[in-house]
Amino acid sequence: MISQKKASYLVIAALFALGALMPFVVRKYHLNMLTEIIVFALYAVSYNLLLGYAGLLSFGHAMFFGMGAFTVAVSLIHIPGLSLWNAVLLAIATTTAVGFITGGFLLRHKGAYFALLTLAFNSLFYAVATKWHRITGGDDGLSITRPDLHLGFTTVKMAGLANFYYLTLGVIGAAIVFCWYFTKTAMGQTVLLMRENEERMKFLGYNTNISRLILFTFTGALAGLAGAFYTLHFQFVSQSAISVDMTTTVLLMTFVGGTGTFWGPILGAFVYIIVQNYLSDITDRWPLFMGLIFVMMVLLIPGGLSQIIQTIRGRFSGKRDTGKPVAAEESPT
Amino acid sequence: MSDYLQIQNIHKDFSGLKVLTGIDVAVREKQRHAVIGPNGAGKTTLFNIISGRFKASSGAILFKGQDISNTPAHARNRHGLSRSFQITNVFQELTVFENIRSGVRSRSGLRYNFLRKPDNHRQINDRTEAIAAEVGLQAVMHMPVSALSYGQQRALEIAITLSTEPELILLDEPTAGMTREETGRAIRMIDRVTAGRTLIIIEHDMEVVFSLADTISVLHYGKILVSDIPERIRTDQRVKDAYLGEE
Repeated sequence: MISQKKASYLVIAALFALGALMPFVVRKYHLNMLTEIIVFALYAVSYNLLLGYAGLLSFGHAMFFGMGAFTVAVSLIHIPGLSLWNAVLLAIATTTAVGFITGGFLLRHKGAYFALLTLAFNSLFYAVATKWHRITGGDDGLSITRPDLHLGFTTVKMAGLANFYYLTLGVIGAAIVFCWYFTKTAMGQTVLLMRENEERMKFLGYNTNISRLILFTFTGALAGLAGAFYTLHFQFVSQSAISVDMTTTVLLMTFVGGTGTFWGPILGAFVYIIVQNYLSDITDRWPLFMGLIFVMMVLLIPGGLSQIIQTIRGRFSGKRDTGKPVAAEESPT
Repeated sequence: MSDYLQIQNIHKDFSGLKVLTGIDVAVREKQRHAVIGPNGAGKTTLFNIISGRFKASSGAILFKGQDISNTPAHARNRHGLSRSFQITNVFQELTVFENIRSGVRSRSGLRYNFLRKPDNHRQINDRTEAIAAEVGLQAVMHMPVSALSYGQQRALEIAITLSTEPELILLDEPTAGMTREETGRAIRMIDRVTAGRTLIIIEHDMEVVFSLADTISVLHYGKILVSDIPERIRTDQRVKDAYLGEE
């Protein structure tokens, strides 16, 4: 029998292989949607590291997403000849800095205060994006042209969707895999243990304030990376990328997918984008229906789609689901 | 005389309520020091101050010659000080192994690493297993805490306290809520696992105190009434009046 560890890597390899086949299988419309799903999957996964793993409810995740999105657009417009890599790296650097600085203020507070403060910070960033017309384009937003990708030995044209899709699959996919790996590392487990019993962690030599700041900054940078690819994908960014709506979006994706598992939010992003696309084709009032679906989900299946799947799986294997991410314990070999 | 742990004139009041009013205790290295006293005397508050959970209103704590009065709890732990809790304070949803490993890897400096997995660290896992075995939890090592009996949870509480390899161990009523028989077993285990280290223990059970400790401090209404060897505590009139006489 193969170990659980090996099985996980096989699943990841299979998903990448499946993803690589997609441009040959689906139409352009769906490839567009798939690119969007991958970008939002990282956004949701990064959010769940805060919410599900660390137990921190933030209403300010869009400030990182939006900051990453705007950094790419603004830097591509104002720095001539800036490469795609450097634009993305710049987005990660800015969001890391923003995460570190805002985190320093925010993380002194806990629970509801923390949640409300994140909302306030997000609104502040939104106001700046709206008012600072000269840089952000205000209501009009900013349009960019995706630069080509220089790999040193060759240049890959990024104008076409298929190439950009592969770039997204590679870069964002790798980031998601790293997040998964992260949950098993010392830091990832520290975050989980802190959610379980922060006080005891202090008496075991862990500086819990620093741990939270590191995590907050890390998830901010990940959201920033997702935001960067959001701009590159649509070749456009407006203040909606940094709005509270964008925070609600990630909250919905995470809840619909379920905070209890690592892959829940990925599933959530997938379902959310598809349902949103479908609903917005048939009615302009799609947010109303999205809201209804969300309310139903929270009331009826608080564990999200992943809870349903785990329950079904549990019926077969007899395992119990706790509804929370648990410390993965691979028996040491 | 250079004491290992010096508690100097510690005062603590909680918004007007004076819980500790000038505590002075000196603990030598390798001493087995019991703190006894009636309920509400301030024993746990004293532990909270030594371990860094609360800050003293005034006074100082010197550990290995260093003033740690303003050092946060996590730094005191890294300094070699570890405590247990009177009310079991563990990671309920996790397994016994995970619980103990949290401290073992902290001690090895594997706290915030983004790349290394504790799972792949043989030394850490072996040490975790060894500690589980020391306190008699090897058989239930991979069970979640919620599946353990009360006595086993108390043993885990001690295992976690030991997991950072402390030099100075503070145990807050480790046998609270146990039956006589369980208490006897627990005390033998505590005696074994804390051998060669400095121990401060809060305990109600006089049998336990007199069998385990080589020094006893009697805390009475926020003050140390007397601090001496067990034989003299047993015959001390003030102690009899304040505490032992009650039984």
